[in-house]
Formats: sequence, structure tokens, C-alpha cells
Amino acid sequence: MIDAARRSLRPRRRAVLAVVPVAVVLVGALIVATFGHRSPTRLTLELSWAPPSAARPLGSGEAGVDLLGLVSHATVRALVLAMAVATVGFAVGTPLGIVAALRGGALERWTLRASDLVQSFPTFLLALAVLSAVRAPSRFHIGVVFSIGAWAPFARMALVQARAISGAAFVEAARALGAAEGRVVFGHVLPNVLGPVAVQIGTAAAGVVLGETALGFVGLGPPDGVSLGALLEQGTFGMLRAPHVLLTGSLAVIVVSGSLQLASEGVRAWATREG
Amino acid sequence: MSEPRERSGIVAERFAVLNRVARAAADRVFGAGFVLLVLASLVFASLRLLPGDPTSLVLGEQAPESERALLRARLGLDAPLSTQYVKFVAGLATLDLGDSLSRPGVPAFAEVGRALGPTSALAAVAVALGAVGGIAVALLATGPWLARRREWVHRAILAVAATPLVAVAPAVTFLVAVKYRIVPLPGDPESGALGLLFASALLATPLGAQVARIARAALLDQRHAKYLEVARAKGASEFRVFVVHALPVASGPIAVVVASQLGALLGGAVVLERLFERPGLGTLMLNAYASRDIPVLEAAVVAAGGLFILAQAGAAAATAIVDPRGQTT
Repeated sequence: MIDAARRSLRPRRRAVLAVVPVAVVLVGALIVATFGHRSPTRLTLELSWAPPSAARPLGSGEAGVDLLGLVSHATVRALVLAMAVATVGFAVGTPLGIVAALRGGALERWTLRASDLVQSFPTFLLALAVLSAVRAPSRFHIGVVFSIGAWAPFARMALVQARAISGAAFVEAARALGAAEGRVVFGHVLPNVLGPVAVQIGTAAAGVVLGETALGFVGLGPPDGVSLGALLEQGTFGMLRAPHVLLTGSLAVIVVSGSLQLASEGVRAWATREG
Repeated sequence: MSEPRERSGIVAERFAVLNRVARAAADRVFGAGFVLLVLASLVFASLRLLPGDPTSLVLGEQAPESERALLRARLGLDAPLSTQYVKFVAGLATLDLGDSLSRPGVPAFAEVGRALGPTSALAAVAVALGAVGGIAVALLATGPWLARRREWVHRAILAVAATPLVAVAPAVTFLVAVKYRIVPLPGDPESGALGLLFASALLATPLGAQVARIARAALLDQRHAKYLEVARAKGASEFRVFVVHALPVASGPIAVVVASQLGALLGGAVVLERLFERPGLGTLMLNAYASRDIPVLEAAVVAAGGLFILAQAGAAAATAIVDPRGQTT
């Protein structure tokens, strides 16, 4: 019994460890962005493309912007946007999936189909279609674009999970004992669906970070230029003069999206083992 | 006595199957058209219904009212919305959304047609490279050649699949094409086949990792199958066992992944086209977006969406042909 307890503890510790990198990235970026006195937009022309120095550990980019300030602010904003979009997706998709699974029939079929389509649709096309109406897309507009499709993976996951659980013996037992439908849904189905679906938040957030980066890279980012994609674009533009900008951008994107993926993998391993 | 009745039963059954297939196909065509119309309407609506004057987006805030009125008339923006929409849908059906704004006299869809060539080449070569490379890696990861080290191959596949192309492609380009000049820059018009190959190889790397993941899983399912034992007992080499016997059986899921990749790529090779400043559908859309060339933007988004949906339908058809059990509609 002690053995079993120890074994069940291990994945949990592993899950906690897996969340550490993304927490470190977020807290570190927050600290630098808040207390570093490094504006991500102040330009010092004489320092254009300057290599790393003691005052600016990551060097300077286009028109002398401080890269450490740019990276920290862009990272915080990317993570906040990603979590916001993932939360919206979770909040919209989960109830939709559960309702579709319990109702069944045409609603279930159409939900599955729509989520398939939305999930595979290139975000870039959607972004162009929506953003073409505004002169300069703000971070809010970009969040809206991603939110349009964010519900799909959550709906699909919740649907599959709810379908499996609503056929389980303990739910049938509850129904047989005369539990009201509301009690069955909120007391039995919902608690068992939420865990595995919530795990999806990390994956969705990592996807948003990469999507936002790609949009920023091709010039569809926020106009102030504070985004990981804009940083990568700067680095590509100045790769001959200042390779350190490109290196900083590439590493920042890999670290942010990688730490999110790591966290969601760790939590998934833990959640699926318990469930 | 019972034979004719049985036969008519079989015929009826066949008709029922045919009927079902036809209905599924019609359903799919209808669905694809519907999705395309929704996308097109989204473009239409976001340009006309959201706050902000599209003519000031094109001409700038300071443009005089007379010029704006002229442009509005040219784009048909002065007509009632319903008339505009009917005209827009009719234009979609006849592939005529008017002329490009930035290049007067050139129809919008002609611009799209010209951009389609380079993008198709890039996407097709990348998907082909990814499919071949991915299957080869998957064979290495399941076959007996590497023994224990197969696990390493699997880890490498997962690592590559998790690596974001948008972060790595510029760095690789810098090293390989700019610093050490092993390959020409693909944006250079004279880079030719080698440049295309390099750009496609970059694009193919994450695709290949995805194919390798699916192919590995599919091959692992087959590894201990009886028919492979039979082939081995007959003296077939391991290479023959895997490539000639196991691979065709495992090809169903692989075909589906490859087909769906093609669809996403046709609409989404944007990052690489931007990186290399290569002409193509992505570049066209970005330029049309930047200069607010509304007809070209509409035509390009609709064309890219149409290609995507076409490739999706192709993937679905591939699934249905390879594995008819999965028919649910």
C-alpha cells in the first residue's frame, strides 16, 4: 500500500517539475519587465545593432532597442495572450462538447465536424480575413482571431470524454437510483470531464504563442513591435550585421513555446494516469 | 426458388451502398461550398460592416472626399449592401472580383493564378520530401536495423516535431545560406532548383516529423502480424518484409496525414515566402493586405481557402478508399 502511494506520488511530482520551466520563464520575464527599467520601445539610434554589453546583456536591435527589455515584455505579453485565448477556448468549448455529447444526434455530429474543420484551418487565412478591416491590428484583435478557433480542441476533447463517461457504470447507477439529470451532469459527468480537458490548456497556449509569433513575423503583429514575431523579423532583417538579434529571437520563441509544451506534457501524464 | 430473390436482395443492397456513397459525396461537396461561402462572407463583411471606412484604409486618412467617392464607386461600395453581396457572390462564381487596385487592368484572379505556381511548387516539393523522409525515418524507428537505438530515433522525431519552424528557419538560413553559402538564398531569382529544394527541405522538416510519428505508430501495429512471419519464413530479407509487405498495409493513416498537410501548406507557406521574399500566394496576400488591394485580397483568401478545402476533401477521399470501414456519414 505504501508502494502504491509512492508510485502515485511520483507522477505528481513529475507534473510539478514539468511546470517549473514555464513558471521560471514567466516570473523571470515579469521581474525584468517590471523592475528592469528597460523600455521595449525606447530607441537609442547610436546603439543600433550593437552587440551585447554589460549595460545591455542581450545587446541592441534595430534602431537601438534594448533586446532584454524587448524579450521580457514580449514574453509576458505572449504568455498572457496565450493563456487568455486558451481560457476562452476552455470556457466556450467544454460546455459545448458536454452538451453535444449528452444530446447526441445532429448536434453531436455537427460539433465534431465543425471542430475538425476549425482545428485544421490555417489561422493565417482567418487572420487576414478578420484583420483586413483594421488599419493596424492590436493585441486585442489578434486575441479575437485566435479565440475564433480556440474552442474546437476543447469541444472535441470534452465531447469524447463526456460520451465515454455518460456510458460508465457509475453514471448509469446514479440514473437508476433516480438522480435528476442536473445532478448527473454537474455531480458526475462534469467533474470527470474537466481534468482531462483542462490539460489541453497548455497545448492550446503553446499553439497560440507560435501562431502569434508567425503572424508578427510576417508583419501582422501589434504596431508597437513588442512581440516575439517582430523580434524574429528584426533578426532576419539584420542577420548580416547583427546575428545576435536573430539568435535571441529564435531562442526566446523556442524557450517560451517549449516550456509550455513541456508543462502540458507533464500535466497530461499525471492527469491520464490518475483518471 | 430462392435464388432470384437473393439476387435481387444483393442488387438492392448494392444500390443502398451506392446511394449512401453518393449522398456522402453530395454532403461533402455541399459542406465544402458552405465553408467557402462562410469564409468569403467573412472577408466581405469585415471590410464593409466593421467600423472604419475602407476607402480611408486604401487612400489614407487625409484623402479628399472627391477621391474617396471615386474609389467607392469603382469598388461598388456606394451600392446597398445586399446588392454588393449578390455581386460579390456572383463574382466568386464567375471568378471575377474586379481588377487589382495597385495594378489597374489586371484582374484580381489573374494575380492569384500567377502567384499559385511558385507556392504550389514549394508546397508539393515540401510535402513530397516530408513524406519520403518521414517514412524512411519511421522504417528506421521500427525495423530491426538499429536495435536498441530505435528509441533514439523516436525521441529525435518527437523533438523535431516540437521545434517551431518560425524560430528555426531564419537561424538555419543564416547559417547555411548566408554565412557559409552552402546553398543559394531561395529568394534570389537565380537560385533555381537548389534554392527551391532548400526552401522545401526547411518546410519539409516538421512535416516529415509528423509523417514519421504517424508512420511509426502504423508500422508498430503491423510489426508482429502473422503475414510478416510468413514472409520471413519464406526467406524475405528484413528490408523486403518492411518495405514491400508492412508499408502498404500501414499506408492508410500516412496518406491521410500527407494529404492534409498539402492543404495547410497551400494556404500557409507564408512564413517561408516572407523569409525568402519569394513570390507566391502568401506574399501576394501580405502585399494586398499592406496596400489594401481589396479585390486581390478577397480573391486570394478565397482561393487559398478553396485549395485548403479541396485538399481536405482529397484527404477524406483517401481515407475512404484506403479504409472503407470508417464511413460514418
